[in-house]
Amino acid sequence: MAQVAKRKGGTVAMAEVVDVRARVLAANEEAAARLRKTFSESGALVLNLISSPGSGKTTLLEATVRALGGRLRLAGIEGDIATERDADRLRALGIPAVQILTGGACHLDARQVRKVVDEAHFPGFDILFIENVGNLICPTSYDLGEDFKVALLSVTEGDDKPFKYPAIFARAEVTVVTKVDLLPYVSFDLAAVREQLAALNPTGKVVLTSARTGEGIPGWCTLLEQRLAVKRKAMA
Amino acid sequence: MHELSIAQEIYRTSRAAVAAHGPGHLERVKVAVGELTAIEPDLLTFAWEALTGGGPDAGSVLDVEWHPARQFCAACNADKPRAQGTWLRLCPDCGQTLQVTGGQELDVLQVAFLPDGAGGETEGGNGRDG
Repeated sequence: MAQVAKRKGGTVAMAEVVDVRARVLAANEEAAARLRKTFSESGALVLNLISSPGSGKTTLLEATVRALGGRLRLAGIEGDIATERDADRLRALGIPAVQILTGGACHLDARQVRKVVDEAHFPGFDILFIENVGNLICPTSYDLGEDFKVALLSVTEGDDKPFKYPAIFARAEVTVVTKVDLLPYVSFDLAAVREQLAALNPTGKVVLTSARTGEGIPGWCTLLEQRLAVKRKAMA
Repeated sequence: MHELSIAQEIYRTSRAAVAAHGPGHLERVKVAVGELTAIEPDLLTFAWEALTGGGPDAGSVLDVEWHPARQFCAACNADKPRAQGTWLRLCPDCGQTLQVTGGQELDVLQVAFLPDGAGGETEGGNGRDG
Protein backbone atom coordinates (compact mmCIF):
# COMPACT_ATOMS: atom_id res chain seq x y z
CA MET A 1 0.00 0.00 0.00
CA ALA A 2 1.37 3.41 -0.95
CA GLN A 3 0.85 6.62 0.91
CA VAL A 4 0.35 9.98 -0.76
CA ALA A 5 0.64 13.25 1.15
CA LYS A 6 -2.38 15.45 0.68
CA ARG A 7 -2.77 18.97 1.95
CA LYS A 8 -6.11 19.56 3.60
CA GLY A 9 -6.61 22.94 5.18
CA GLY A 10 -3.52 23.69 7.23
CA THR A 11 -2.48 20.10 7.89
CA VAL A 12 -1.18 17.27 5.79
CA ALA A 13 -3.27 14.09 5.57
CA MET A 14 -1.92 10.81 4.26
CA ALA A 15 -4.04 9.16 1.58
CA GLU A 16 -3.65 5.41 1.41
CA VAL A 17 -3.61 3.82 -2.02
CA VAL A 18 -4.58 0.19 -2.54
CA ASP A 19 -4.47 -1.80 -5.74
CA VAL A 20 -7.77 -3.58 -6.21
CA ARG A 21 -7.80 -5.14 -9.69
CA ALA A 22 -11.37 -6.37 -9.46
CA ARG A 23 -13.87 -6.86 -12.26
CA VAL A 24 -16.61 -4.27 -11.83
CA LEU A 25 -19.30 -6.80 -12.66
CA ALA A 26 -17.74 -9.57 -10.57
CA ALA A 27 -20.84 -9.96 -8.37
CA ASN A 28 -23.08 -10.29 -11.43
CA GLU A 29 -20.63 -12.67 -13.08
CA GLU A 30 -20.48 -14.89 -10.00
CA ALA A 31 -24.27 -15.05 -9.84
CA ALA A 32 -24.38 -15.82 -13.57
CA ALA A 33 -21.81 -18.60 -13.18
CA ARG A 34 -23.88 -20.17 -10.39
CA LEU A 35 -27.01 -19.96 -12.53
CA ARG A 36 -25.20 -21.51 -15.49
CA LYS A 37 -24.10 -24.41 -13.26
CA THR A 38 -27.66 -24.91 -11.96
CA PHE A 39 -29.05 -24.88 -15.50
CA SER A 40 -26.37 -27.28 -16.72
CA GLU A 41 -27.04 -29.75 -13.92
CA SER A 42 -30.74 -29.78 -14.73
CA GLY A 43 -30.07 -29.99 -18.46
CA ALA A 44 -32.18 -26.93 -19.22
CA LEU A 45 -31.59 -24.65 -22.16
CA VAL A 46 -31.75 -20.96 -21.20
CA LEU A 47 -32.20 -18.01 -23.53
CA ASN A 48 -31.81 -14.31 -22.79
CA LEU A 49 -34.09 -12.36 -25.15
CA ILE A 50 -33.11 -8.76 -25.79
CA SER A 51 -34.74 -6.17 -28.03
CA SER A 52 -36.30 -2.76 -28.07
CA PRO A 53 -39.79 -2.44 -26.56
CA GLY A 54 -42.55 -3.56 -28.87
CA SER A 55 -40.46 -5.71 -31.18
CA GLY A 56 -42.46 -8.76 -30.20
CA LYS A 57 -40.53 -10.71 -27.56
CA THR A 58 -43.61 -11.83 -25.64
CA THR A 59 -45.55 -12.48 -28.84
CA LEU A 60 -42.71 -14.67 -30.14
CA LEU A 61 -42.75 -16.55 -26.84
CA GLU A 62 -46.52 -17.05 -27.06
CA ALA A 63 -46.13 -18.51 -30.53
CA THR A 64 -43.25 -20.68 -29.29
CA VAL A 65 -45.32 -21.98 -26.37
CA ARG A 66 -48.20 -22.80 -28.71
CA ALA A 67 -45.85 -24.71 -31.00
CA LEU A 68 -43.63 -26.47 -28.46
CA GLY A 69 -45.67 -26.49 -25.26
CA GLY A 70 -47.08 -29.94 -25.89
CA ARG A 71 -43.66 -31.51 -26.41
CA LEU A 72 -41.37 -29.60 -24.04
CA ARG A 73 -41.65 -28.17 -20.57
CA LEU A 74 -41.22 -24.41 -20.96
CA ALA A 75 -40.92 -21.62 -18.40
CA GLY A 76 -40.52 -17.86 -18.52
CA ILE A 77 -38.95 -15.08 -16.49
CA GLU A 78 -40.22 -11.68 -17.58
CA GLY A 79 -38.33 -8.47 -16.87
CA ASP A 80 -40.21 -5.19 -16.95
CA ILE A 81 -40.18 -1.86 -15.20
CA ALA A 82 -43.87 -2.16 -14.35
CA THR A 83 -46.89 -4.50 -14.62
CA GLU A 84 -47.32 -8.27 -14.57
CA ARG A 85 -48.74 -8.25 -18.08
CA ASP A 86 -46.06 -10.32 -19.77
CA ALA A 87 -45.98 -13.05 -17.13
CA ASP A 88 -49.78 -13.13 -17.23
CA ARG A 89 -49.69 -13.68 -20.99
CA LEU A 90 -47.42 -16.71 -20.60
CA ARG A 91 -49.36 -18.12 -17.64
CA ALA A 92 -52.52 -17.83 -19.70
CA LEU A 93 -50.93 -20.39 -22.04
CA GLY A 94 -50.33 -22.73 -19.13
CA ILE A 95 -46.60 -22.37 -18.55
CA PRO A 96 -44.98 -21.24 -15.27
CA ALA A 97 -43.83 -17.63 -15.50
CA VAL A 98 -42.43 -15.17 -12.98
CA GLN A 99 -42.39 -11.42 -13.41
CA ILE A 100 -39.37 -9.44 -12.20
CA LEU A 101 -40.25 -5.78 -11.72
CA THR A 102 -37.07 -3.75 -11.92
CA GLY A 103 -38.67 -0.57 -10.63
CA GLY A 104 -36.96 1.61 -13.17
CA ALA A 105 -33.76 -0.31 -13.87
CA CYS A 106 -33.19 -0.79 -17.59
CA HIS A 107 -31.91 -4.39 -17.48
CA LEU A 108 -32.09 -7.64 -15.55
CA ASP A 109 -29.22 -8.55 -13.23
CA ALA A 110 -28.11 -12.15 -12.61
CA ARG A 111 -28.79 -11.73 -8.89
CA GLN A 112 -32.44 -10.93 -9.60
CA VAL A 113 -32.72 -13.99 -11.81
CA ARG A 114 -31.01 -16.18 -9.22
CA LYS A 115 -33.44 -15.05 -6.54
CA VAL A 116 -36.36 -16.00 -8.78
CA VAL A 117 -34.84 -19.36 -9.72
CA ASP A 118 -34.11 -20.12 -6.04
CA GLU A 119 -37.56 -19.11 -4.85
CA ALA A 120 -39.86 -19.88 -7.77
CA HIS A 121 -39.88 -23.63 -7.27
CA PHE A 122 -40.31 -24.01 -11.01
CA PRO A 123 -41.16 -27.54 -11.85
CA GLY A 124 -38.36 -29.01 -13.95
CA PHE A 125 -38.23 -27.37 -17.35
CA ASP A 126 -36.53 -28.03 -20.66
CA ILE A 127 -36.27 -24.46 -21.90
CA LEU A 128 -36.33 -21.28 -19.83
CA PHE A 129 -36.93 -18.01 -21.65
CA ILE A 130 -35.61 -14.94 -19.85
CA GLU A 131 -37.24 -11.95 -21.45
CA ASN A 132 -35.14 -8.92 -20.62
CA VAL A 133 -36.38 -5.37 -20.16
CA GLY A 134 -37.10 -3.83 -23.58
CA ASN A 135 -33.83 -2.06 -24.31
CA LEU A 136 -31.12 -2.65 -26.92
CA ILE A 137 -28.28 -1.24 -24.83
CA CYS A 138 -28.04 -1.96 -21.12
CA PRO A 139 -29.06 -5.65 -20.95
CA THR A 140 -26.15 -6.45 -23.27
CA SER A 141 -23.61 -5.98 -20.46
CA TYR A 142 -25.23 -8.36 -17.96
CA ASP A 143 -24.66 -12.10 -18.22
CA LEU A 144 -27.67 -13.96 -16.79
CA GLY A 145 -26.23 -17.46 -16.99
CA GLU A 146 -27.93 -18.07 -20.32
CA ASP A 147 -26.76 -20.47 -23.02
CA PHE A 148 -27.08 -17.72 -25.57
CA LYS A 149 -28.54 -14.30 -26.19
CA VAL A 150 -31.27 -13.76 -28.76
CA ALA A 151 -31.73 -10.31 -30.28
CA LEU A 152 -35.06 -9.43 -31.88
CA LEU A 153 -35.47 -6.80 -34.57
CA SER A 154 -38.93 -6.05 -35.92
CA VAL A 155 -39.19 -4.82 -39.48
CA THR A 156 -41.05 -1.70 -38.32
CA GLU A 157 -37.98 -0.54 -36.36
CA GLY A 158 -35.94 0.13 -39.48
CA ASP A 159 -33.10 -1.62 -41.23
CA ASP A 160 -30.27 0.47 -39.75
CA LYS A 161 -30.49 -0.90 -36.20
CA PRO A 162 -27.67 -3.48 -36.18
CA PHE A 163 -25.04 -0.84 -36.95
CA LYS A 164 -26.67 1.66 -34.61
CA TYR A 165 -26.79 -0.78 -31.66
CA PRO A 166 -23.81 -2.96 -32.49
CA ALA A 167 -23.09 -4.43 -29.05
CA ILE A 168 -26.21 -6.56 -28.82
CA PHE A 169 -26.20 -7.65 -32.45
CA ALA A 170 -22.50 -8.56 -32.19
CA ARG A 171 -23.11 -10.69 -29.07
CA ALA A 172 -26.42 -12.36 -29.84
CA GLU A 173 -25.94 -15.85 -31.20
CA VAL A 174 -29.31 -15.61 -32.92
CA THR A 175 -31.07 -12.57 -34.35
CA VAL A 176 -34.79 -13.01 -34.95
CA VAL A 177 -36.26 -10.58 -37.48
CA THR A 178 -39.90 -10.34 -36.40
CA LYS A 179 -43.16 -9.15 -38.01
CA VAL A 180 -41.96 -10.20 -41.47
CA ASP A 181 -45.61 -10.33 -42.61
CA LEU A 182 -45.31 -6.51 -42.68
CA LEU A 183 -42.37 -6.48 -45.11
CA PRO A 184 -44.57 -5.52 -48.11
CA TYR A 185 -45.77 -2.43 -46.25
CA VAL A 186 -42.56 -0.99 -44.78
CA SER A 187 -39.20 0.15 -46.15
CA PHE A 188 -37.02 -2.50 -44.65
CA ASP A 189 -34.04 -3.74 -46.63
CA LEU A 190 -33.57 -7.30 -45.43
CA ALA A 191 -30.41 -7.82 -47.48
CA ALA A 192 -28.85 -4.74 -45.85
CA VAL A 193 -29.70 -6.12 -42.40
CA ARG A 194 -28.15 -9.46 -43.26
CA GLU A 195 -24.99 -7.68 -44.42
CA GLN A 196 -24.76 -5.65 -41.21
CA LEU A 197 -25.29 -8.74 -39.08
CA ALA A 198 -22.66 -10.69 -41.02
CA ALA A 199 -20.13 -7.88 -40.50
CA LEU A 200 -20.86 -7.58 -36.77
CA ASN A 201 -21.30 -11.22 -35.99
CA PRO A 202 -19.90 -13.55 -38.65
CA THR A 203 -21.01 -16.72 -36.83
CA GLY A 204 -24.48 -15.48 -35.82
CA LYS A 205 -27.71 -17.00 -37.11
CA VAL A 206 -30.60 -15.02 -38.55
CA VAL A 207 -34.18 -16.28 -38.31
CA LEU A 208 -37.20 -14.60 -39.92
CA THR A 209 -40.54 -14.92 -38.17
CA SER A 210 -44.08 -13.67 -38.09
CA ALA A 211 -45.88 -14.73 -34.94
CA ARG A 212 -49.08 -13.50 -36.58
CA THR A 213 -48.98 -15.73 -39.68
CA GLY A 214 -46.79 -18.44 -38.17
CA GLU A 215 -44.12 -17.99 -40.82
CA GLY A 216 -40.70 -19.04 -39.56
CA ILE A 217 -42.00 -20.30 -36.20
CA PRO A 218 -41.32 -23.99 -37.02
CA GLY A 219 -37.73 -23.15 -38.00
CA TRP A 220 -37.23 -21.15 -34.82
CA CYS A 221 -38.61 -24.04 -32.76
CA THR A 222 -36.37 -26.53 -34.56
CA LEU A 223 -33.37 -24.36 -33.70
CA LEU A 224 -34.38 -24.43 -30.03
CA GLU A 225 -34.88 -28.20 -30.05
CA GLN A 226 -31.53 -28.73 -31.74
CA ARG A 227 -29.75 -26.52 -29.21
CA LEU A 228 -31.45 -28.37 -26.36
CA ALA A 229 -30.37 -31.71 -27.85
CA VAL A 230 -26.78 -30.49 -28.19
CA LYS A 231 -26.74 -29.38 -24.56
CA ARG A 232 -28.21 -32.67 -23.33
CA LYS A 233 -25.75 -34.64 -25.43
CA ALA A 234 -22.82 -32.66 -24.01
CA MET A 235 -24.05 -33.56 -20.50
CA ALA A 236 -24.36 -37.25 -21.18
CA MET B 1 -28.64 4.50 -17.64
CA HIS B 2 -26.75 1.34 -16.83
CA GLU B 3 -23.84 3.62 -15.93
CA LEU B 4 -25.59 4.21 -12.59
CA SER B 5 -25.67 0.51 -11.75
CA ILE B 6 -22.05 0.19 -12.90
CA ALA B 7 -21.14 3.14 -10.63
CA GLN B 8 -22.92 1.39 -7.76
CA GLU B 9 -20.82 -1.74 -8.29
CA ILE B 10 -17.63 0.35 -8.41
CA TYR B 11 -18.67 2.09 -5.21
CA ARG B 12 -19.39 -1.22 -3.46
CA THR B 13 -15.99 -2.62 -4.48
CA SER B 14 -14.20 0.58 -3.48
CA ARG B 15 -15.92 0.73 -0.09
CA ALA B 16 -15.00 -2.89 0.58
CA ALA B 17 -11.37 -2.10 -0.26
CA VAL B 18 -11.38 0.78 2.24
CA ALA B 19 -13.19 -1.24 4.89
CA ALA B 20 -10.50 -3.91 4.68
CA HIS B 21 -8.07 -1.30 6.01
CA GLY B 22 -10.34 0.33 8.59
CA PRO B 23 -12.63 3.35 8.49
CA GLY B 24 -11.88 6.05 5.96
CA HIS B 25 -13.15 8.28 3.17
CA LEU B 26 -12.68 7.71 -0.53
CA GLU B 27 -10.42 10.19 -2.30
CA ARG B 28 -9.97 8.75 -5.77
CA VAL B 29 -10.98 5.54 -7.53
CA LYS B 30 -9.27 4.50 -10.71
CA VAL B 31 -11.16 2.27 -13.15
CA ALA B 32 -10.36 0.78 -16.55
CA VAL B 33 -13.18 1.05 -19.10
CA GLY B 34 -12.96 -0.58 -22.51
CA GLU B 35 -14.65 0.84 -25.58
CA LEU B 36 -16.53 -2.42 -26.22
CA THR B 37 -18.25 -2.39 -22.83
CA ALA B 38 -20.63 0.32 -24.13
CA ILE B 39 -19.99 2.36 -20.97
CA GLU B 40 -19.76 6.09 -21.57
CA PRO B 41 -16.97 7.57 -19.36
CA ASP B 42 -18.68 10.95 -18.95
CA LEU B 43 -21.97 9.35 -17.90
CA LEU B 44 -20.06 7.10 -15.52
CA THR B 45 -18.41 10.05 -13.77
CA PHE B 46 -21.76 11.91 -13.62
CA ALA B 47 -23.30 8.81 -12.08
CA TRP B 48 -20.43 8.62 -9.59
CA GLU B 49 -20.97 12.25 -8.56
CA ALA B 50 -24.70 11.69 -8.17
CA LEU B 51 -24.13 8.50 -6.19
CA THR B 52 -21.51 9.84 -3.77
CA GLY B 53 -22.86 13.39 -3.48
CA GLY B 54 -24.16 14.26 -0.02
CA GLY B 55 -22.62 11.12 1.49
CA PRO B 56 -19.40 10.41 3.33
CA ASP B 57 -17.49 10.08 0.07
CA ALA B 58 -18.77 13.29 -1.57
CA GLY B 59 -16.08 14.99 -3.61
CA SER B 60 -14.23 11.75 -4.35
CA VAL B 61 -12.97 11.47 -7.91
CA LEU B 62 -13.64 8.66 -10.35
CA ASP B 63 -10.65 8.45 -12.63
CA VAL B 64 -11.47 6.59 -15.88
CA GLU B 65 -8.63 4.96 -17.80
CA TRP B 66 -10.01 4.48 -21.32
CA HIS B 67 -9.05 1.41 -23.35
CA PRO B 68 -9.84 1.67 -27.05
CA ALA B 69 -11.00 -1.45 -28.88
CA ARG B 70 -8.28 -3.42 -30.64
CA GLN B 71 -8.85 -6.01 -33.31
CA PHE B 72 -6.37 -8.42 -34.79
CA CYS B 73 -6.53 -10.21 -38.14
CA ALA B 74 -4.84 -13.61 -37.97
CA ALA B 75 -4.78 -13.91 -41.77
CA CYS B 76 -2.97 -10.58 -42.24
CA ASN B 77 -1.08 -11.05 -38.94
CA ALA B 78 -1.74 -7.41 -38.04
CA ASP B 79 -3.86 -5.18 -35.81
CA LYS B 80 -6.57 -3.61 -37.91
CA PRO B 81 -7.70 0.00 -37.52
CA ARG B 82 -11.23 0.45 -36.36
CA ALA B 83 -13.38 3.41 -37.28
CA GLN B 84 -14.99 5.22 -34.34
CA GLY B 85 -18.30 3.69 -33.39
CA THR B 86 -18.18 0.61 -35.57
CA TRP B 87 -18.06 -2.94 -34.29
CA LEU B 88 -17.18 -4.63 -37.55
CA ARG B 89 -15.68 -8.05 -37.04
CA LEU B 90 -14.53 -8.52 -40.63
CA CYS B 91 -11.06 -7.50 -41.80
CA PRO B 92 -11.36 -4.50 -44.16
CA ASP B 93 -8.46 -5.94 -46.21
CA CYS B 94 -9.05 -9.68 -46.47
CA GLY B 95 -12.59 -10.19 -45.11
CA GLN B 96 -11.58 -12.74 -42.46
CA THR B 97 -13.10 -12.62 -38.97
CA LEU B 98 -11.24 -10.26 -36.63
CA GLN B 99 -10.22 -11.26 -33.14
CA VAL B 100 -10.97 -8.78 -30.34
CA THR B 101 -7.76 -8.17 -28.37
CA GLY B 102 -8.68 -5.10 -26.34
CA GLY B 103 -11.54 -2.87 -25.30
CA GLN B 104 -13.51 -5.26 -23.08
CA GLU B 105 -11.98 -4.05 -19.79
CA LEU B 106 -14.23 -3.03 -16.92
CA ASP B 107 -12.16 -3.15 -13.76
CA VAL B 108 -11.57 -1.28 -10.54
CA LEU B 109 -7.80 -0.74 -10.55
CA GLN B 110 -6.92 1.33 -7.53
CA VAL B 111 -8.58 3.02 -4.57
CA ALA B 112 -7.09 6.00 -2.70
CA PHE B 113 -8.65 6.90 0.63
CA LEU B 114 -8.04 8.99 3.72
CA PRO B 115 -8.12 6.82 6.81
CA ASP B 116 -10.17 8.31 9.64
CA GLY B 117 -7.82 9.73 12.23
CA ALA B 118 -5.14 10.55 9.67
CA GLY B 119 -3.71 14.06 9.83
CA GLY B 120 -6.21 16.74 8.93
CA GLU B 121 -9.07 15.29 10.95
CA THR B 122 -8.26 17.68 13.77
CA GLU B 123 -9.59 20.70 11.93
CA GLY B 124 -12.96 18.93 11.58
CA GLY B 125 -14.10 21.28 8.88
CA ASN B 126 -14.76 18.89 6.05
CA GLY B 127 -18.30 18.10 7.13
CA ARG B 128 -17.90 14.44 6.29
CA ASP B 129 -17.98 12.96 9.73
CA GLY B 130 -21.51 14.12 10.52
